[in-house]
Amino acid sequence: MTGRVDFKIERRPVASGFIVFLVSLIAIFAALVVAGIFFRIYGVSPIRAYQQILRGSLGNSFGLAETVRRAIPLLLCGVGLTIAFRALFWNIGAEGQLLMGAVAATGVALFSGLPGPLLLPAMFIGGFIGGAVWGLIPAILKVILGVNDVITTLMMNYVAIYFVEWLIHGPWKGPSARGFAYSDTFPRAAWLPTIYGTRIHWPTLVLGLVLAVVMYILVNYTRSGFEIRVIGENPDAAKYAGISQFKTTLLVMFISGGFAGLAGVGEIAGIHMRLLGPSHISMGYGYTAIIVAWLARRNPLAVIITSLLFGVIMSGGDVIKVSLGLPFQLINVFNGLILFFLIGSEILLRYKISFSLRR
Amino acid sequence: MFTQRSKVVLVTALAIAVIFSLTSVTMAKEYVPGTPLKAGFIYVGPIGDLGWSHAHDEARRICEDTFPWLETVYVESVAEGSEGLYIDKLIREEGCDVIFTTSFGFMDGTLISAQKYPDKIFAHCSGFKRNPNMMTYMADFYQIYYLNGLIAGALTKTNKTAYVGAFPIPELKRHMGAFTVGVREAKPKAEVHIRWIYEWFSPTAAKEAAEALIADGCDVFAFTEDSPTVVQVAAEKGFPSFGHYSPMYDFSPEHVVSGQIAHWEEIYLDFLAKVYAGAYTAHNLADVDYWWLLKEKAVEMGAKPGMLINPTYEDELKAIHINDPVLGMISVYDLVLKRLEQMADPSMVFDPFNGPIYDREGNLRVPEGLRMSVFELTTMDWAVDGIVGPWE
Amino acid sequence: MGWETWIITTLSRSLAYGTPLLLGTLGEIYAERSGVLNLGVEGMMIMGAYSAFTTAYITGNPWMGILMAAIVGGVFSLIHAFASVTLKANQVVSGLSLTMLGLGLSGMFGRGWEGKPLPATIPKITISGLSKIPLLGPIFFEGQNLIVYMTILLVPLLWYILYRTRIGITIRSVGESPATADSLGISVARVRYVCVFIGGILAGLSGGYLSVAYRPAWTEGMTAGMGWIVIALTIFAFWNPVYGMLGAYLFAALYHLAFRLQLWVSPELLKAMPYAFAILVLIFVSRGTLQKRMGAPAALGLPYTREEE
Repeated sequence: MTGRVDFKIERRPVASGFIVFLVSLIAIFAALVVAGIFFRIYGVSPIRAYQQILRGSLGNSFGLAETVRRAIPLLLCGVGLTIAFRALFWNIGAEGQLLMGAVAATGVALFSGLPGPLLLPAMFIGGFIGGAVWGLIPAILKVILGVNDVITTLMMNYVAIYFVEWLIHGPWKGPSARGFAYSDTFPRAAWLPTIYGTRIHWPTLVLGLVLAVVMYILVNYTRSGFEIRVIGENPDAAKYAGISQFKTTLLVMFISGGFAGLAGVGEIAGIHMRLLGPSHISMGYGYTAIIVAWLARRNPLAVIITSLLFGVIMSGGDVIKVSLGLPFQLINVFNGLILFFLIGSEILLRYKISFSLRR
Repeated sequence: MFTQRSKVVLVTALAIAVIFSLTSVTMAKEYVPGTPLKAGFIYVGPIGDLGWSHAHDEARRICEDTFPWLETVYVESVAEGSEGLYIDKLIREEGCDVIFTTSFGFMDGTLISAQKYPDKIFAHCSGFKRNPNMMTYMADFYQIYYLNGLIAGALTKTNKTAYVGAFPIPELKRHMGAFTVGVREAKPKAEVHIRWIYEWFSPTAAKEAAEALIADGCDVFAFTEDSPTVVQVAAEKGFPSFGHYSPMYDFSPEHVVSGQIAHWEEIYLDFLAKVYAGAYTAHNLADVDYWWLLKEKAVEMGAKPGMLINPTYEDELKAIHINDPVLGMISVYDLVLKRLEQMADPSMVFDPFNGPIYDREGNLRVPEGLRMSVFELTTMDWAVDGIVGPWE
Repeated sequence: MGWETWIITTLSRSLAYGTPLLLGTLGEIYAERSGVLNLGVEGMMIMGAYSAFTTAYITGNPWMGILMAAIVGGVFSLIHAFASVTLKANQVVSGLSLTMLGLGLSGMFGRGWEGKPLPATIPKITISGLSKIPLLGPIFFEGQNLIVYMTILLVPLLWYILYRTRIGITIRSVGESPATADSLGISVARVRYVCVFIGGILAGLSGGYLSVAYRPAWTEGMTAGMGWIVIALTIFAFWNPVYGMLGAYLFAALYHLAFRLQLWVSPELLKAMPYAFAILVLIFVSRGTLQKRMGAPAALGLPYTREEE
């Protein structure tokens, strides 16, 4: 019998929410299947491995708390990034903005001399401004001079990293750190409260959740949000409609940078209580948040879920390290695979592939 | 769309709340001596770094092979500030009875956890804070650096020896100081030129720092960094060097004169055995500090285990004599053996930091007839006379 | 110490450390010239370093390692080419995932390879006659290795191809205006695949140089961020191989001097410099006429889709 399978690839107008959800799920599943091969290589049954990861990250209150704790900075950075990505501003600089938020908060905590109750709010405001300023620089460069945003935001991460290094080796090195490169520990009033028995600094979590909702409303139900969406979806039409790219770009980066800065405050005031090496402040949260925002398809509300998902992956990494005794680098492989499958799955969203059997 | 999404969010949030409230924390009891014991190790770097974390992990494996009643788990590449989380995990999920944390930066987190789990046993490496259930330990190299310094001083032709350092912290300043004391004993005019790379592990930085020291005219190399880079760079130019942490003889059999090798297992075996026997419990560790040196065999001098001094350099070192006030004319080779013997002696007849020792500003830091205390050693922040280079 | 010695040591170190940076930069210039931004340099480099080391260890021949590094780097880069050209995916995200994947895979499979000395490494050579030339001799002809020379020779070659041949015009037109190139019958996809592949080969070589020549050993994460410096240098170079050479050697010289001058200059400041410079250069070339002559390829980072009638 002879037959012929025909592919037909057509552009899909706009994928529905359900399709997006389904395709993302399939992509993650596919990535997990491929990652399973690596578990096999190390002689661990993938199914058992995933079971352990799920149990270790969601199956008990302790693992769950860790998942949530890691989701907090991802949530804040991720929500901010969805707004920037909406306006087609490729902010790769959340990591640096987070660090600058941490720097600003440290400055307030150690040197402002503010009385106790005012200290934490001032740190959050300072951290927001620190991150926002770091985010506004590439924004201004882009709208005024047309400088490529991907590169400037990326490069500024490194400037921020070395700035932090310089601070902790130089002027802010704490006298009580015994020669080690840390700042002094913050006064008690600058410590964020945590949910009892966990390391979840809940004020930051609440802040993240509230901001996710606020941003959802901003994007979908306000004039500014409308402008952001138009610029993102159809820049030419935006120009036609007299929407100021200048104003919008600055606004989105003020938000995106500021939120990353808030994440930095959370890490520094909720976990470390001092300024320390950049790679210890943030375990690449700013970069992972790019995946988080991407997976959320730039929907601030969906970031709540995707940040939790990556919280699971990050604390699942602990399971890989601790319980399974596998090289922790497996996590990078994991993340890389998930990303590739996600971007690969984009094609399913943009195009409709139909099969038909011809005789 | 909004309703669909918000439903998903709501369901997720509910699920989280339910799991939170349902699961209860299961806590194991205090360790009963003589029963199987589980120890957890927390490392700051990857075990593949061929340095600090690598050495601790080798020791962990030796322990596991030695004690049939011992089970171990480890976590590598733990960021400072995250140690608390892994301690929680090791205790609650893995059921560990003893936790070893192996970085200075884990100190505060380990103490907090020790207070949180008063029935568990903690051991923190290289710090100074203790608790009834938390001891401190360190296998320190300063005596070996002194011995390496003696050899370096004898071998230098340019009167400039080199030391590539990771971070300007007390530990390294102590080691540089001891190295310098040795160098100057062999050659009073010689200097120790130093460079910092501000990383524990950075082959490129270590390489360029070593090259910079070569350009400055240095011709013997010591270092503190977690890779064999400095040894390799020195060997390319034919300069002698001292391996650090792991045996580095294989990277340059002709030019690695000697070096420092850690035997963390000596501390781990001793401590674990005492826990197993019931001598150490979660209530009597407040004054336990393993500050172990040559005499405890926690550290070894050598190009590789068992090879104290590379035979290639033996004749040269036997031919160089110095005049010691006590021992008289003695070859450097014999002096090293003598000092080694003195320091390995339980009464520690000799210590590198015997006064008088001056800092490089000319102040007398250790008066004649005195020695530095362990506290002074662990907080040392001054530069021994003869050190040249940035100090912060 | 005489000023000659300062110049000699600084420049000879600049050649040695600049070589891996230059190799990576040359590759990234080609990829970006064709319009593909590849942030996966770090990942390709570390894969190159890992495969070069293991191959050299097993075969006992460092050149086999270098060859393998080029192959692995090239093949690895095709993942990015597939994602960004065929699937028209976001290049930033794809590049980042390539880096994660490279660091992850090499770190995983590299377990157990650390601490092993290579039986043979790329030899350093001294050209006896030429090394006697004052100043230049000790810099160029003493103790460098063949890869250093090959890399220097690559610069005029790649420059010539890019600016003086049809192939170069094709590559640049694909990066500037893929639609025009397409209408002239050029296969945008093929050109981009080839350029990304070249980028991968060179990044792989760069990693291979690190693990079998520059500092022969394998350690996890041994590229330590050099891939990101390459990204910065590519901009610093105005996407031109010749400036790329200047940038790479200049940065390498500064990196070396940072250790020589440690008493006087903050190391963090020097480390931040290539990134800060890259931003300044971008600002500088993003204006008016300069944008046309020296700026980024106009279609950099944009997937190309033919407009359908």
